[in-house]
Amino acid sequence: MSDKIGIYVCECGPNISGRVDIDRIIAEISNLEEFSDKELIVKPHKLLCSVGGKAFLEEEIKNNELTHLVCAACSPRDHDTTFINVCKKTQLNPYMYTIVNIREQCAWIIPDKEKATDKAIQYIRGGIDRVLYQEPLFEKQLESNPDVLIIGGGMAGLTAALVLAGKSRNVYLIEKTSILGGKAALFSEFLPHQSDIADLKNKIKEVENNQYIRIFRNTELEKIVGFLGNFEIVLKQNQTGDTTDLLAGAVILANGYELMDARELDNFKYTDADNVFTGLEIEEMLTSQGKITLRSGEKPRSAALIHCVGRKEAGYCSQVCCNYLLKTAGYLLKQVPGIEIIDLHQDLCQPHTEDQAYFESFKEKGMQFCRVQEVALDGNKIEYVNMAGEKKEIAPDMVIIAPAMKATASNEALSALTSIDLHETGFFQEAHIKINPVSTKTDGIFIAGASRGPCDISEAMIQAQAAGGKILTQLIPGEKIIPEVKVSEILEAYCTGCKTCLDVCAYGAIYFDNERGISVVNEAICRGCGNCVGSCPSGALRSRHFTNLQLYQQVKEALR
Amino acid sequence: MNPSDKILVIGSGIAGMEASLMLSKAGKKVYLVERLPLIGGNVIKTGESFPNMDCSTCLVAPIQQLILQDKNITVLTVSKVEKVIGKAGNFGVSLTKKARYVNIAACLGCGMCYPVCPVSQPNFWEQGLVEKKAIYVECAGSLPNVPVIDPSLCLRLNGSEECNLCAETCIFGAIDFSEKDELLEENFAAIIVATGFSTLDARIIKNLGYGKFAGVYTAYEIERLLASNGPTEGVIKMRDGERIPEKIAIIHCAGRKEVGYCSNVCCSYPSRYAHFLTEKVPGVKIFDIYGDLCFPDKAYQKLNYETRKEKAEYLFSADLEKLEISEESDKLKIKYPDAGNQHKELLVDMAILAVAITPPAGLEDLTELLEIERDKYGFVKAETGSVNTTRDGIYVAGCATGPRDIQSSVLQSEAAVGQILRFLQD
Amino acid sequence: MDKFSKKGIELNSESGIQEAIRRFFQDAEKIFDAVMLPMRVPAKDSYAWIMIKDREYLKDATPIAPIMPVNGAKALKRFTRKGEARLKVAALMRPCEIRAAVELTKLNQINLDDVILCSYDCPGALPMQDYISEPEAGEAKFQYLLDNDIWNSAEVKPVCRICDKFSLPASDLHFAIEQGKVIIIANSEKGAEILKDMNLPGAYLLENWDRSIQQIKQKRLAAKEQNFAETKNKIEGFEKLLETFSVCIGCHNCQSACPICYCRQCYFDSVTAKPNADVVMMKMEQRGGLTLPMDRIMFHTGRMAHMSLSCVSCGLCSDACPVDIPVAEIFSYVGSQTQQAFEYCAGESLGDALPMKEYKSDELSELKAILSDATAQEVADE
Repeated sequence: MSDKIGIYVCECGPNISGRVDIDRIIAEISNLEEFSDKELIVKPHKLLCSVGGKAFLEEEIKNNELTHLVCAACSPRDHDTTFINVCKKTQLNPYMYTIVNIREQCAWIIPDKEKATDKAIQYIRGGIDRVLYQEPLFEKQLESNPDVLIIGGGMAGLTAALVLAGKSRNVYLIEKTSILGGKAALFSEFLPHQSDIADLKNKIKEVENNQYIRIFRNTELEKIVGFLGNFEIVLKQNQTGDTTDLLAGAVILANGYELMDARELDNFKYTDADNVFTGLEIEEMLTSQGKITLRSGEKPRSAALIHCVGRKEAGYCSQVCCNYLLKTAGYLLKQVPGIEIIDLHQDLCQPHTEDQAYFESFKEKGMQFCRVQEVALDGNKIEYVNMAGEKKEIAPDMVIIAPAMKATASNEALSALTSIDLHETGFFQEAHIKINPVSTKTDGIFIAGASRGPCDISEAMIQAQAAGGKILTQLIPGEKIIPEVKVSEILEAYCTGCKTCLDVCAYGAIYFDNERGISVVNEAICRGCGNCVGSCPSGALRSRHFTNLQLYQQVKEALR
Repeated sequence: MNPSDKILVIGSGIAGMEASLMLSKAGKKVYLVERLPLIGGNVIKTGESFPNMDCSTCLVAPIQQLILQDKNITVLTVSKVEKVIGKAGNFGVSLTKKARYVNIAACLGCGMCYPVCPVSQPNFWEQGLVEKKAIYVECAGSLPNVPVIDPSLCLRLNGSEECNLCAETCIFGAIDFSEKDELLEENFAAIIVATGFSTLDARIIKNLGYGKFAGVYTAYEIERLLASNGPTEGVIKMRDGERIPEKIAIIHCAGRKEVGYCSNVCCSYPSRYAHFLTEKVPGVKIFDIYGDLCFPDKAYQKLNYETRKEKAEYLFSADLEKLEISEESDKLKIKYPDAGNQHKELLVDMAILAVAITPPAGLEDLTELLEIERDKYGFVKAETGSVNTTRDGIYVAGCATGPRDIQSSVLQSEAAVGQILRFLQD
Repeated sequence: MDKFSKKGIELNSESGIQEAIRRFFQDAEKIFDAVMLPMRVPAKDSYAWIMIKDREYLKDATPIAPIMPVNGAKALKRFTRKGEARLKVAALMRPCEIRAAVELTKLNQINLDDVILCSYDCPGALPMQDYISEPEAGEAKFQYLLDNDIWNSAEVKPVCRICDKFSLPASDLHFAIEQGKVIIIANSEKGAEILKDMNLPGAYLLENWDRSIQQIKQKRLAAKEQNFAETKNKIEGFEKLLETFSVCIGCHNCQSACPICYCRQCYFDSVTAKPNADVVMMKMEQRGGLTLPMDRIMFHTGRMAHMSLSCVSCGLCSDACPVDIPVAEIFSYVGSQTQQAFEYCAGESLGDALPMKEYKSDELSELKAILSDATAQEVADE
């Protein structure tokens, strides 16, 4: 079949026709010497993106049996998709079409009509020569597995499991320890604006009784390979060493947090014999023995709360400590009437509307609040400098500290297994901090709860539901996955195996074939960004639909 | 159509847009209702977003485009929810689609129509910093890029004159004075309330002198002054259009006492202002007067630390409520108690108030007709750790339920979609 | 001096520097399975790399060869590209070769797991042409440099005269030379282990050596500054660049000799880089005339763009050039500029990530400044 190229020039009302000479374009493009062996059909249209324009284009493609299509119109940001959709209604493969921007790049920016017309002609010529070197590309459809693996049986993991599990979707919930509920299970009460502790217990029961949720206790992720809709997973029971193979379509990492050990800090010295407790230890004590006591078993008559322990070293605010220290103060005030409590903080972080009123209620109860510049601890002796610069010393019976929340070691292990990046703080890195907070760079792997950053229980629950929402929209039972078509490929003969492309790929789409000593693109994961193409020193990478040849031809004609 | 496939999203800010796109991806039909003539919400008012300094337009414009091109999403701008009956799974909703008087399908957004319009009005979307015509778009790059006519001001529509200037200028015949408000009746399985926020009228905060002294600005005015598509195209000048500020004070927690809560985002954006102000106004000196600092994300505090090192001097005040601004010749005098509760004074050219976030205008009416409860601050009440409102089938996301940043708003809208899809599956 | 050793061990140097090094490898027979070092070819007019297991051959080897026909890193690549060497090999190379090996390791072309890099204080290498035309004179000249402790000779290659990285590269073991004495220094943990195992007697204080190295370095840096200024003057601007490369015959020898040019097939030898008649005619019509072949300047600037960040200034390109273009000086100058832009020094350490593989938010800040100045200028112009 000989090449039949349709070139349609949009007048965009007066937007283009007012500033470039449409007739001259048609005349010159129709008579281009270098394409004299091709059949060119060159026509103008008032407004190609209008309903009439699209119908016209469709008819033209069909009636003329076009093999290539060039639309000289506006910015691809405006109407590339419009014309691709027209192609999809016809026999023409949409990758055999290209758009040339003669509005923003010619009509609107060049005051001289003749010069604007010259440039438009050059660009269209470039477009024609590009499209001649384009190749038809075809979408692939991949079967997908709707099941979901959730790592971590804390509040986030439980919440996500309940959002996802159902008739057409199984959830595999794995938990490193033998109990569900995570750190929240240690709490005796939640904050007033957080979910109720009974709610957590109900959730655990609900998860345990849900026939679509399979729980693996004492289990960790051993291996994972694949992509959205098709992950092959190996789990390992950490006591017996038994492994289980699974298939899942998506994964949620909800493996929680741990507290920084304050004793690693220069200015916090205490031993297990001292009456120094973390907020979490107080919760544990209350849950196990029903009351808060000193190590001797006696009631404390005075206590100090220290905020922001290790905040500077960690580099972030853990955002939950201001509230939970107040909660522990609440326990103490209830149990030991008349107890003297001093609260030593640097900043108070009260990000929820309810927080300020909660804080003020403690002010009313006679708790003393003191803002400090520095604070040091030796046993139960506290030395602090207040904002006026005065140095003070106190030695309360009990000291309760709020060390920074930090990422657990399992973040690193999971990062190595999944190739999900870690933020410089050690927490998981989201796809976009603002607009894509539970997704990661890898489609199909999501993050929720305190392993993606410090958060309280209600926020962990919201994140879990968000990750659930993302999966419910992206992994619909029975629907096939259509990966990106314009992906990169590696020409084996040129690849020197330097692995530069592995480092620049933001999606983990390239792996190294040790046997052959070359890099290989996983087309199901590649999104066609082209980073690897630009970085390859030996030109072994090629971006389909943006090949060197295509671009070269386009530039060549544009410069002719 | 089966109502179980249709969802109503009220509000087209970042939360509403994210929810709409997700629902569409899941094969649901979405009606996205917006009271303004443009979609995008408050995010598009900011030039860049904290902490990565991503250009906000670049973040959001692709999302707006996707929304406008999505076949599953019906975008109703200048529209309003009138009545809701029924229950979760099948709500009957009446909507008014107000006349735009400009045919969206015919208009190309070339912008020829507004210069000829004889009527001007203040542009509140631009914080009243500039004027717009009776036929207008709120800012350059509004999407949909189609103007709207204000019928109360348009000489022809309000009956004062047979003016036809815009229609005569438009060669696409897109101006349609005969357009009428439409009442739509639709059924929906679920509703998401994502109506965003307003900010406290800074004039209420007596001791800060906003509205009295020209040198006092709200943060959202500064947002527009910094934005490249704003009224000054990103150039920082005082209200007289000439003076360039040499010293700027950013006052944190403005109005916190009045509203009774921390607005969550106002500690973050001053770092962004410091970054761009020092870049745009060489030699400018910036002071941040603060009481508490709140950075609720792993990545937020770092930028603040960097700002404090190089770009702004942070002054702690033991009692921000006692801070007072007065005018002294062409400068502003800021009096405040310092860390040791000692009286301090600072002379600056410009004061920026990080004003409190409040429930959005019209939320009261909306919650009443939706029959959902508000909390004591006037925000939509949500169950703890959830996006459910007090009525089944109605969900809330974003600042409608309290001050929060973009990340947290997006999280909630994604969670709302999770809940809806879960609910529709059962 | 680094953390591993402030002291060295003096080797028996009575029979000369070369013999001292040979003897060290002889003594280390149990430590290394094999040694890779230069040996004079039978025709006596050049040197080749040999890897020997049998220490008998050591006597014929010349540890410090007067010339460098092939960059040692290239030799090393041949047997470690696809993973570690099966045997433990000590590779004795010039500092610039060590640095090339470091670059190639980062590019996954060399695996150093079972290689012990050995370096020495390098007096420079003689230009290939000079040596080949009169090998015996070359031998004598080079021996004279070694015997008389001459470190700033005008006889060595131009890039060697301006080389300030001639001592203590990122090797494991280093042979320091001080007035005819050879002192071995452990330069890495791996090296320290080896010296410990060998249990050599006697510690040698390195202060004097270090001082003299610094002095030589100062002289070479001054020479470098002058040379770079001259080179800049010679090539800056398109016209001058064109003039400099106008004699190029397009043989691509510089690329074949370059240790950093590691591509399987050079882009400039590929089909894509060969324009078709249409393009050639088009260009000729546009310009009114064309020199052929037409990709000369493109080849050199392209190669610069590809490898200058890793250029170690070994000078092999100049040796390889049949028309005497000072390729090495030009690439060394450009490389120093591009590497400076990314605060990178090619081959300095295995720990520094290649600029291509690492993003720093503050890199190229001076470019940003230039850009904003330019924008300001534009605004002012308006």
